[in-house]
Amino acid sequence: MKSGLSGVGAAKVAAVILALAILAVLPLLTSSNYLLGVAVSGLLMTVAAAALNLVYGFAGLLSFAQLGFWGVGAYCSAITVMDAGGSFWAGVLVAAGVNGLLGLAFGYPILRTRTHAFVVATITFALLCNLVARDWISVTRGPLGIPGLPPPRLLGYEIEGSARFFYIVLGYAVLALCFLYVLETSRIGLTLKAIKQNETLAQSQGISPLPYKLAVFTIAAVITGMAGAVFAFHLRVVDPLIFDFYYMQTFLIIVIIGGTGSFWGVVLAGAAMVVLPEALRFSNDLRMVIYGAILVAAMLLMPRGVAGWIEDRRLASLRANLR
Amino acid sequence: MIPLLEISDLVKAFRGVRAVDGASFAVQAGSITGLIGPNGSGKSTAIDCISGFQRADAGRVHLDGTAIDGLPPQRIARAGLTRTFQDVRVYDTYTVLENLLVVAKPFATTNWADAFLRTQKFRETHGQAEARALDLIDLVGLTRLTHAPALILSYGQKKLLAFAAAMMSNPSIVVLDEPVAGVNPTRVNEVAEIVRAANRGGTTFLIIEHNVDFITSLCDHVIVFDRGRKLTEGPPAEVHRDPLVLDAYLGVEPGHEPHLARAG
Repeated sequence: MKSGLSGVGAAKVAAVILALAILAVLPLLTSSNYLLGVAVSGLLMTVAAAALNLVYGFAGLLSFAQLGFWGVGAYCSAITVMDAGGSFWAGVLVAAGVNGLLGLAFGYPILRTRTHAFVVATITFALLCNLVARDWISVTRGPLGIPGLPPPRLLGYEIEGSARFFYIVLGYAVLALCFLYVLETSRIGLTLKAIKQNETLAQSQGISPLPYKLAVFTIAAVITGMAGAVFAFHLRVVDPLIFDFYYMQTFLIIVIIGGTGSFWGVVLAGAAMVVLPEALRFSNDLRMVIYGAILVAAMLLMPRGVAGWIEDRRLASLRANLR
Repeated sequence: MIPLLEISDLVKAFRGVRAVDGASFAVQAGSITGLIGPNGSGKSTAIDCISGFQRADAGRVHLDGTAIDGLPPQRIARAGLTRTFQDVRVYDTYTVLENLLVVAKPFATTNWADAFLRTQKFRETHGQAEARALDLIDLVGLTRLTHAPALILSYGQKKLLAFAAAMMSNPSIVVLDEPVAGVNPTRVNEVAEIVRAANRGGTTFLIIEHNVDFITSLCDHVIVFDRGRKLTEGPPAEVHRDPLVLDAYLGVEPGHEPHLARAG
């Protein structure tokens, strides 16, 4: 369509290369396990948020089931390694497989419900996952959880230390985000947002909503579950706290602040949500107060998120030019 | 010759009120057929049933000899019957061009993997779809706004966009639900011209509309609905002189009640 890169496109490419370069050398810049740990959880939560964005921002499905998939993924990898004697990699693949099946089996009936009913059903799913983790003691070891997860091994070498683990996480995050980017910018993404905007109109144009919704619900379940599986090896322990609402709330904040339906908005917000609380450490007493105030201000000034705010500015200037 | 669209004994009731009550009518291939009738006569419910958005309680719908009743709306659209909506519907955040590229049929030969990987086949299909979309945008006179988001369009422009989107899949018949209601009267003739041009291209039209001039000038056949079924039909000039039709619209005059029996 357009030949060459527009100014915005070139700036985006430059920003992505810069961000990747910084991330790639991050372990060389700091030896702090704490900072690398912050980066690891930030990357994984950004991936989970980007998966939520596919379901919520593109297909219009406000799914709290992501929290369930995140925790189920963590348990899958932990059980594969500790009880079945599998490797970390096998654990992540098992998490992908189990979450794929779970996404299909749970999504098929529940995607027939709409709006509030859908939200309630997905919350129930997450609560049920938590309940199973707590009470199916023979498999999950109940509230005690599964401690002592060993570091992953690659080609016979133990990937010991935060720096090496960080590269695994970075690799997974880049792969998952690339997949989502390619998917969301394809015609599939265009169709998804059409279904979100007006489902009856989409149907009148020959589009079957259910297969699209089921596909993205399942894809998001797999990506979130794999992120949870990796996250378990960051924590080195999995217990029912993996289903803490804190995680879901973080995914949601990232998506809403970034702008629902915007890939770059959500990735940016993911980075900001990691950097911000750390940058505010200069004041330990007021840290969370300031963090909260910034979130409230962001929502008041940009109710449709950063990406929505930019879009509104663009439309306003377009209108001004036309009239 | 079998009609392109044939409706027989269609019934749809809401809590016992029979909105469509045994309607039977046919639309001939290549025609521009009008569907008129007083408010509440069941026209909209009938086309909701025909296009699959509501499920009829009884009756059959045949498109080109194939039964389409009971199918979901997306299957009916892919079978060749598309429609517009009375409350104009477009994708506000999408550009005029994107609004047309969403339509599924032109991409029927490609699958999700083609779309995801942007295969050669997909790019060719996309190019053809885009060419068709640009032609349609030209037909409805929105070329200047091809890359503008639909939400900046006027009400009338959105109706034209919705019309183009309904044409995008190259359907055999398009059902237009009040195409000129709320449109600036000076523009009504433009819409009629656009419909005529599309009709010359081979598309059949079934048009629900209250604008008598629009229907009279455009349609070669008019079906009149009253109380959920066909009251009469014929060429527009004859239908408008039919006392049955005047009764249906204006009510029965005192001392002139030959049609009361029909209601019972």
